[in-house]
Amino acid sequence: MKDTSSSSSNSSADPRQPSTARPYVPPRVSPQDLPMDYSGFLAMLFAVSGVMFRYKICSWIAMIFCAQSLANMKNIENDLKQISMAMMFAIMGVVTNYFGPARPSATKR
Amino acid sequence: MAARGNSPRRWAQAVTVNLLSGRDLIWYIFGVLSILSILTHELSRHSVHAAGADFEGFDFEEDESDDERDHTFTILPPSPPVTTQSHTPESHHGPPKPSDPVTKPSKIEEEWDEDEFEGFSTQIHDDLEDEVNSSTEGSASETPNLDSSIEKKQKKSFPGSYPLEILCVSFLVAFAVNFFTGKKENERIALAWVAKFAGKDAIFEKNFSLLGTGDGMNTPLLLKEGQDVFKFYASGRRYCQRLLATLELKNRHDLISKIVDLVLPKEETITFEVVMNDDAMENIVFAMGKKKLAKSMHKEEFDLQRYAGLMTNAPHGRKWVPEELLVVSESKEIAGDMLNDAVLDQVFGEKAYQKFGKWFISMHFSDQHYGSQKKVLKFKFIIPNQNDMGDMTRLVALVPYYIDLVGRYKLSSQARTKTVASRTKAAQEAYREMQNARQEELQKRKAEKKRLADEASVKLSAEAMRKREEKDRARQMKKGAPKVKMLRSH
Repeated sequence: MKDTSSSSSNSSADPRQPSTARPYVPPRVSPQDLPMDYSGFLAMLFAVSGVMFRYKICSWIAMIFCAQSLANMKNIENDLKQISMAMMFAIMGVVTNYFGPARPSATKR
Repeated sequence: MAARGNSPRRWAQAVTVNLLSGRDLIWYIFGVLSILSILTHELSRHSVHAAGADFEGFDFEEDESDDERDHTFTILPPSPPVTTQSHTPESHHGPPKPSDPVTKPSKIEEEWDEDEFEGFSTQIHDDLEDEVNSSTEGSASETPNLDSSIEKKQKKSFPGSYPLEILCVSFLVAFAVNFFTGKKENERIALAWVAKFAGKDAIFEKNFSLLGTGDGMNTPLLLKEGQDVFKFYASGRRYCQRLLATLELKNRHDLISKIVDLVLPKEETITFEVVMNDDAMENIVFAMGKKKLAKSMHKEEFDLQRYAGLMTNAPHGRKWVPEELLVVSESKEIAGDMLNDAVLDQVFGEKAYQKFGKWFISMHFSDQHYGSQKKVLKFKFIIPNQNDMGDMTRLVALVPYYIDLVGRYKLSSQARTKTVASRTKAAQEAYREMQNARQEELQKRKAEKKRLADEASVKLSAEAMRKREEKDRARQMKKGAPKVKMLRSH
């Protein structure tokens, strides 16, 4: 758009001002303002239902959503707690569904 | 805060330095694959055991039922017909027929009726019948299933019987692989942008003295906030305090988002936010964007709604932006000054817009910005392909141009009076609102105090009443009791 000559003629000087440079201050975002972590919420939901109702597919879907939530995690300190809780539930669900006592209906395959 | 500052710095260093990227990737994949292989190994082991357990259970049942029948046979040596009949169910146990349990009891009944055994034998008969029924029924129902399933399971190999698990594990593996490839891709795009516009002798290098989030010397230029959000910070220029560019890329690292993106595509945008110096910006409220977007901005943005109006008619006698773009401005004069001839020629005019317009989303200048910073210029563009970064050069060049333009701009006296009037009005309204809010709070506090006082007084009055009652009783008692005169005899 502007070749350097016109910009320099406009500015007549280097536009930079090192004296006014300020270091970066990351903006403070309260945890309530953050966009909702849908995948984490869904992971919790599926994980709890998988553990309670002993549906294997629920536990697997919960694992997948946990993975997605982990991948999308932006702030390690804030988000890790909820995600780790959902992950524990999901792993618990998978373990109890496979290595625990089977559901009564599952034997009649 | 220090920890938060450190972790993005660490990420940013990983982005720009890229020393261990190759080795890291291999280790990550190795780790994931090893975990998954262990998991599948465990699953297969337990599935074999479970399958075996089914057979064992059945065997146990068979053994148990056989044992029980043996016991009954030992009880009944003196009754030969019983043994012959009980042998028949055993022989039938091998190749079972579902009709057997129905015929069995009838046969037994007939033989019993014929032989006319009573008492002890009828008891035995009942027990046997129950046993026969239960065992043959159970075995009949189970054995056909189990026989066929035994055969099926022996024929079928492991993967066939666990479709859900195979699917989910493979999806997780694909997710992990996609995470790393998508992450790399996003980083590459962000670095390409930075190399083009913030590298050596690039536009931002020439305009700002401090680039990047570090101390300026040998620090990474990009700040990575999540796998799809990158921030570029620059400071140290006249008229403005700082500039923050946020690159929002597609979620390439998330397989589910990638699949959703096929249906609902998302644009990759870059948002420039420039905070102007307090003395460098006049009372300007101006925005421009595509028609639909401009209208929604006018509704949603607080300052646009309050101070500005939609400019549907172009000012006559001069060039203007094409029909697709809509301007939201406080006054026509400001709009005209912001969209001067140079800008129209280069970017927003009829001809130029056809070439460069597809990368432009919106522009918003405001000195009454809703947020912590009041004097802000905002630009939003679409990021082109990694290889075509040069296409948005003119748009990016708009940023420093407008910083200078707005920094030097002086309103004419009429426009200034209008703007000042509207702002003072708004300030007064805000002040009044604040006053009202304060008064309401005070009233609330007073009401609460009053309520507490009332409650306290009620309690007190209850206590006072009790005291009064006690006093009354005491008086009555005194009245009732014989009066004893105390005489002082000295």
